[in-house]
Amino acid sequence: MGNVTLTRVTKKFGAVEIIKGVDLTVEDGEFCVFVGPSGCGKSTLLRMIAGLEDISSGSLSIGGRDMTDVDPAERGVAMVFQSYALYPHMTVAENIGFGLRMTGHPKEEIARRTAAAADMLQLKPLLERKPAQLSGGQRQRVAIGRAIVRNPDVFLFDEPLSNLDASLRVQMRIEISKLHQDLKSTMIYVTHDQVEAMTMADKIVVLQAGLIEQVGSPLELYHRPRNIFVAGFIGSPKMNFLKVTARPTEGGVAVTFPGGPSLTIPTETPVIKGETTLTLGIRPEHLDRETGDVTLAGTVRLAEHLGSETLLYVTLADGAEISVKADGLTSARPGDAISIPLLARACHLFDTEGTALHNGDLTR
Amino acid sequence: MFPTPVQKSGPLASAAYQIILPIALVIWLLPLLGVAVTSVRPSGDLAAGNYFGIPSSFAGVENYKAVFRDSPIGTYILNSFKITIPTVIGAVGLSCLAGFALAVYRFKGNLALFFLFVAGNFIPFQILMVPVRDLTLKLGLYDTVTGLVLFHVAFQTGFCTLFMRNFIKGLPFALIESARVEGVSEWRIFLHVVLPLMRPAIAALSVLIFTFVWNDYFWATVLVQGQSAMPVTAGLNSLNGQWVAAWHLVSAGSIVAALPPVLMFFLMQKHFIAGLTLGATKG
Repeated sequence: MGNVTLTRVTKKFGAVEIIKGVDLTVEDGEFCVFVGPSGCGKSTLLRMIAGLEDISSGSLSIGGRDMTDVDPAERGVAMVFQSYALYPHMTVAENIGFGLRMTGHPKEEIARRTAAAADMLQLKPLLERKPAQLSGGQRQRVAIGRAIVRNPDVFLFDEPLSNLDASLRVQMRIEISKLHQDLKSTMIYVTHDQVEAMTMADKIVVLQAGLIEQVGSPLELYHRPRNIFVAGFIGSPKMNFLKVTARPTEGGVAVTFPGGPSLTIPTETPVIKGETTLTLGIRPEHLDRETGDVTLAGTVRLAEHLGSETLLYVTLADGAEISVKADGLTSARPGDAISIPLLARACHLFDTEGTALHNGDLTR
Repeated sequence: MFPTPVQKSGPLASAAYQIILPIALVIWLLPLLGVAVTSVRPSGDLAAGNYFGIPSSFAGVENYKAVFRDSPIGTYILNSFKITIPTVIGAVGLSCLAGFALAVYRFKGNLALFFLFVAGNFIPFQILMVPVRDLTLKLGLYDTVTGLVLFHVAFQTGFCTLFMRNFIKGLPFALIESARVEGVSEWRIFLHVVLPLMRPAIAALSVLIFTFVWNDYFWATVLVQGQSAMPVTAGLNSLNGQWVAAWHLVSAGSIVAALPPVLMFFLMQKHFIAGLTLGATKG
């Protein structure tokens, strides 16, 4: 059983609090991704689960057993490091079998399990090589193999793909996802790359400054961000934010853009009381519509042609900048005047604290 | 390419290189050449005042024979080995352990302890001559090989620990953490992960300490009196008679005494290749 539960976990380095009270449950067999900007404490949290950092207060349990003060070796976890951490003086086979050899497993069992892991990761032809003779992707596979042979309840990955080049990263991403399907073990994966998070995770944990901002499935975070931080962090290019004035109306909120046009956004429940300033959020990919409930006028400042799509960076009449994900065949060039249709149903609303008041939903 | 190869630089630089380099080399080797030439000089040359000129005849064979005939140089060399090898093993072994602890573990006073090791190197050991001699006398270690070994180990471990600690600090810490997560005990991490990677450092330090202790003259004269524990450096002096200085014999003895450290260097030099940690992590 590999369910991991963190209860009011904190971490202090001297007087500095890095993790400020985290409550989290990762179910058995779940692929959970910790994501957040650098310095948010995601790696520290992973290292605390691994037992490489002490837990300052709070408790950790793995598989229902309290592991707060247990040695890393006793926790039933295996970790893959960003730097791979392969032993340079050992061959691939020795690297994979090292932990088993040191913990007194019989020779035949080590050989059998090493062979099984090598099979799974296509490392068979490389078993006699030293790490220096391997490419980055192969080294990473050896590091994963070293984790697999131990047959752990929980796999921990600390930014395992960030040292690889872009195409290899995509390939390894798929391999790790496949591995998760085959092994069905709990995996906790730390990354700063939201594409990795979106593509691999069953559950994403968004962290910022030592606190959990939101926990949910990838699509839940994408469609229903709880606050402006999550809304901006998940999705690429990031969500556009526009300052608007808003007042309540029948069945929704009437917002007025600084340039003049106004729009009524339907909400299920009244979200504001009187007239106020709000932040309206809309994703670049939702601005590529034939028609909208309102159009915003602007000038194209920059066009990035990616082939399949074109990213337009547009300056609106009032000087605000927004990005639009347009069709790859669009003919817009820098300096062109453009009108952007806006769908009321796609708009998110955030109050001045950044809390989401209303999440847009295109399926509605 | 930087620096520009000498062959490709201007005529002036290349001429200067061809003139200055041999001169520098000769100046650098002059004392050694002097000793080597003196060791094949007949004793008559020295009596006649021909100290630095061409030897009047080649007396190498007699001189080297005389060294082995007239002095117990065999015993001295054996003593030198008896002192040097345990010192190298002791100092390097202890410093590997101490360096590992200082580099890997976070404990109160870690840095203070490390600075103590560093600071110890700044104390000129000559000022400890009298107290150390008193101590050896009181411990009954005066005039023994054990006494010399113990004091050499004590004096060398400071520098060795500084060296080892910094070397281990330079190894990727993830290797140790990775082994910890795999359930490897700390002692086995030291033996199976850290120690193999320290080979270049151990080789370099062994040669250094070997040469240093082998060449020691100071403690050998302070802590040893009799022939039984005398290493070759101090022992060579006995080739000088009470009334006559036999420099040609002392020179020949010195050449013999200098061979082991040179051999040691050539034996160990292939281990110096420091590229052992390449491939451990990305890079």
